[in-house]
Amino acid sequence: MKTNDKSGFGINRRTLLAGAAFGATQLAAPFVITARAAEAIKIGLLLPKSGPYAVQGEIGHNGAQIAIDDFGGKVLDRPIDLIWLDESSPQSTQQNMRKLIEEEKVAAVQGGVSSGDVLAIMPVAERAKTLLMASGPNATEITGKNCSKYTFRVDLPNKVTVNSVYPLLKERGKKWYFVVASYAWGIDAYNQMKDVVVKGGGTVVGYDQAPLGTTDYSSYLLKVRQAKPDVVYVGLGGTDLTNFLKQMKEIGLTKQMALSAPIVNDTDLWAAGPDAAFGIYPKIWNYTGAHLAKRSADFAAAYTKKHGGPPEAEGWQDWFGMTSILTAIKETKSTDSAKLVGFLEEHKFEGYKDTPIFFRNFDHQLVQPLLVAQVKDKITDKYDYFDIKSEYPKDASALNEAYGSQADIGCTFKA
Amino acid sequence: MTELIISQVVNGLVLGFLYVLIAIGLSIIFGMLGIVNFAHGVYFALGAYFALTLRDSLGPWAIVLAPLGVGVVGVIIEMTLMRPLYGKEPLLGLFMTFGIALFIEELIRTIWGAAGHPFNPPAWLSGFIVWGPVLVTKYRLFVLVVTVLILVALWLFLQGTRYGRIIRAGSRDPEMVSMLGINLKRVFTAVFGLGTAVAGIAGVLAAPLWSVVPSMSEAAIMPAFVVVTIGGLGSFGGAVISGLLVGVSVALSIQFWPAASTAVMYALMILILLVRPRGLLGESWERFE
Repeated sequence: MKTNDKSGFGINRRTLLAGAAFGATQLAAPFVITARAAEAIKIGLLLPKSGPYAVQGEIGHNGAQIAIDDFGGKVLDRPIDLIWLDESSPQSTQQNMRKLIEEEKVAAVQGGVSSGDVLAIMPVAERAKTLLMASGPNATEITGKNCSKYTFRVDLPNKVTVNSVYPLLKERGKKWYFVVASYAWGIDAYNQMKDVVVKGGGTVVGYDQAPLGTTDYSSYLLKVRQAKPDVVYVGLGGTDLTNFLKQMKEIGLTKQMALSAPIVNDTDLWAAGPDAAFGIYPKIWNYTGAHLAKRSADFAAAYTKKHGGPPEAEGWQDWFGMTSILTAIKETKSTDSAKLVGFLEEHKFEGYKDTPIFFRNFDHQLVQPLLVAQVKDKITDKYDYFDIKSEYPKDASALNEAYGSQADIGCTFKA
Repeated sequence: MTELIISQVVNGLVLGFLYVLIAIGLSIIFGMLGIVNFAHGVYFALGAYFALTLRDSLGPWAIVLAPLGVGVVGVIIEMTLMRPLYGKEPLLGLFMTFGIALFIEELIRTIWGAAGHPFNPPAWLSGFIVWGPVLVTKYRLFVLVVTVLILVALWLFLQGTRYGRIIRAGSRDPEMVSMLGINLKRVFTAVFGLGTAVAGIAGVLAAPLWSVVPSMSEAAIMPAFVVVTIGGLGSFGGAVISGLLVGVSVALSIQFWPAASTAVMYALMILILLVRPRGLLGESWERFE
């Protein structure tokens, strides 16, 4: 008998291959079906990967990731896919925002350390009717005259923070010098604080706008030294603030005058080191201290365990922002931004701070107590730099008032 | 007002020396090898990070060893990644150095973390000196002295030694020098190592002044390119004059129009390129024409 078959089963190579291919589809089929059932829910993240705020970007991303871990990496039984694109300038951030919405089809976007970048992406979110959780910008107008139906803000508006530190700074004298980053956030910080200072009988002895990402402030500091102010108020953050503190130390101005800023990130001070760090700052959150609430303490512990050091303020902001997005998706059982917006406008978040916190329905600002923090005289720990002087407002019942009434805010959502 | 201007001009000159120091390494590598080194900033950053790691165990020796370490990294990179591209399309070299810059910055982020590290000047260099309206910190004076010493040493080396003559000749006419039986490969490697080591020195010395973060290369790369372009590619004298010019322009703009203080060096570059496309002291080089 003539046969070309050596296997003895009457199968040639061709049929074997065909069979294998068929078998493979059978094996793979269940996975294909599973994957379809649990298509990932994509959430976009826009935080800096380079430039002066790169550290905040990294820590914010870590914080958002912890929120996803808290949910077991899933919501509505679907895996959560976090897509982090760079936030480096208003124009490129806007491009990345479009990419997230149009190409990645994300359910929501979180991010924005720089107010300039956030102001650039808010109209994109509004047009696409996509939820934007602005975790880190401070310019007042974001939840003020430029507010948007689809934007919610976690971080504090300058208009609120200036009032929190002013009473302590006022005690130091009447002459104020301002050095601020020359964009939306810094300029707004100057305008807000200047109004408070002038109303309180103080004077502005100097006002300089410095380009974002300035490395050498020595020439500014010569002007400050010449003007002999009682208080220096700097609208600087990220490496800008670190550079400013290091160079203040270099020319012997450390602790020679009061220093404050519209907000502070711990990492900027950690990078300057215990000899150069000083000042009184409004602080959205501190990883340790009497004001730490249960859920946030758990977050700090989880972060420390995962990253080997405690989270700074930006980590909390992005953790809370992501937690609120995921809570909204879970509770509404939907990824429809209109429904998420409706939920966030009504929900009260308990256990994150020592009083329930919530997004106001008329401006989408997160209403929350903040900390007035002073850098310790003697810093002995690598991370523990602050003494918490007080909470602002002192009484939780004054909370809504501290953020301004609907009439003061001047926010109207487009229909 | 005169007093403030004097104080700003002096501050600008001192800052200018820091810019000169940052630019020298770039100038050496371009002038001698014709490589436009986009990775210059990361060698600067590596200098600071090596010093950060070594200072706890070695103390002041870290300042000497960190730049040497950067030089060794430079030598390895030249031998493995740059050498195959000599004589090829110049764009390839550009892409390569750009890729190296991204890679090393990520490497720094992975090894030392994204957050900044404190870095103080040594105690004996803290404090400042005041003469009338002029205030100069001791640390910046130290940087100025080191910069001048490096420039003098490089000049003596290139002009006065046999090795220096080979480098200069090799940079002008590599073929002729090779034909004379000199191993130019080794010379190029050494020059690349020297340029990166000088970038490392700048990084070590800038660490107490500026933030030590993975992206610190950004603080170095643009001023370095501007200074070298204004001064004339490959010219030491040009780099010194242009570094000081940039320093003074920045300081004076901060006095009168601070928001423009970053833009002013680019405006200066545009102006000088319009008047003298080769830069202040740039010569006509057969290879680059």
